[in-house]
Amino acid sequence: MPRSAASTTRIWDPTVRLFHWLLVALIAFSWWSGEQHDMERHRLSGYAILALLVFRVFWGFAGPRTARFTTFVRGPGAVMAYMRGLGRRTGHAADGHNPLGGWSVIAMLAVIGLMVAAGLFAVDVDGFESGPLADYVSFDQGRTAAELHETVFNGILALVALHVAAVVFYLVWKRQNLVRPMITGSRKSVDGETPAELRWSPVLAVVGIVIAVAVAWAVSTGFRF
Amino acid sequence: MTLSKSLSLAALGMSAAFLAVTSTLAVAASPAATTIATRHANFKKMGGAMKVLKDQVSSGTIDKPAAVAAAKTLAATGRAQVGLFPNGSGASSGVKTDALPAIWTNRAVFDGQMKAFIAQADKMVVAANTGNAAAVGAQFKAVGGTCAACHKQFRADN
Repeated sequence: MPRSAASTTRIWDPTVRLFHWLLVALIAFSWWSGEQHDMERHRLSGYAILALLVFRVFWGFAGPRTARFTTFVRGPGAVMAYMRGLGRRTGHAADGHNPLGGWSVIAMLAVIGLMVAAGLFAVDVDGFESGPLADYVSFDQGRTAAELHETVFNGILALVALHVAAVVFYLVWKRQNLVRPMITGSRKSVDGETPAELRWSPVLAVVGIVIAVAVAWAVSTGFRF
Repeated sequence: MTLSKSLSLAALGMSAAFLAVTSTLAVAASPAATTIATRHANFKKMGGAMKVLKDQVSSGTIDKPAAVAAAKTLAATGRAQVGLFPNGSGASSGVKTDALPAIWTNRAVFDGQMKAFIAQADKMVVAANTGNAAAVGAQFKAVGGTCAACHKQFRADN
């Protein structure tokens, strides 16, 4: 029996995909607005990234199985076993993140979280522009936060480079396109695979979005309501 | 025993003398270093004063004595800065500084920017004395504008 066109497996729910591509766009925009010294838009972009991070952490507990930390954060044994198979020229039909990629997600969330946190307290050299929480720290502490904010950007660049390199490696060496599933939500099924439903609750998604926006808004006001 | 002891004493004495000479040289060799350190400390003081005003503007409540003191710091320190950019106190002195060579090649413009800052800082003192949040906020923007304008042209962006 020929495989039907429908033999795909859903691995990414719409919110995870939206999270991914919004994060790509906002990190690019944050870099650009920072370079332009357009601090008004740079701050807004940072608040949006903060909202994305809050949502993603919430979704790591409330989302579908492929979004959950308990599913994709794996022990060293699983990571080593996965890495031993890296050289094989066959695709890897992970149910979402592979064991190494899961740690890449954690690293990304941590570094981008540190970036946002440093930005919230940062003060520019003139004492003119600052993050919304800068009035809780001294000028010197704010300057240190600004320097950290600049340094951590290199960490983000390194992780992005590693991430893109891994995607290219999969495309060229393993002949597996990882970008398409991040757009469509589905990857090709492997033979004998029975696609499992990707269950997620739109109600919980809305709850997560409301929490994320509320947190980002509260922080943006410097907790002055 | 005594020979090695006196030798080590001599070595100690020589190294002390060497240290004294080199440290004297280090100080004597760079009056630019002192100038640069002073103006750097002054700019940090001004940054701190700006932050005092900024925090008040964003909270919406003006603490008049603190705002006036910060504004006076800006005006007085700004005046002191004018004399702290002598020739040879740029990066060519070998001391780390963000002051661009354009300060000395484009001196008239630089001095004009300094004057503009001082004028706005004086108005900041007046605005702070009103204790009015809107007035302080508006003048804070004007002062910040002169900081940015000068930095854009004369300070290394890093």
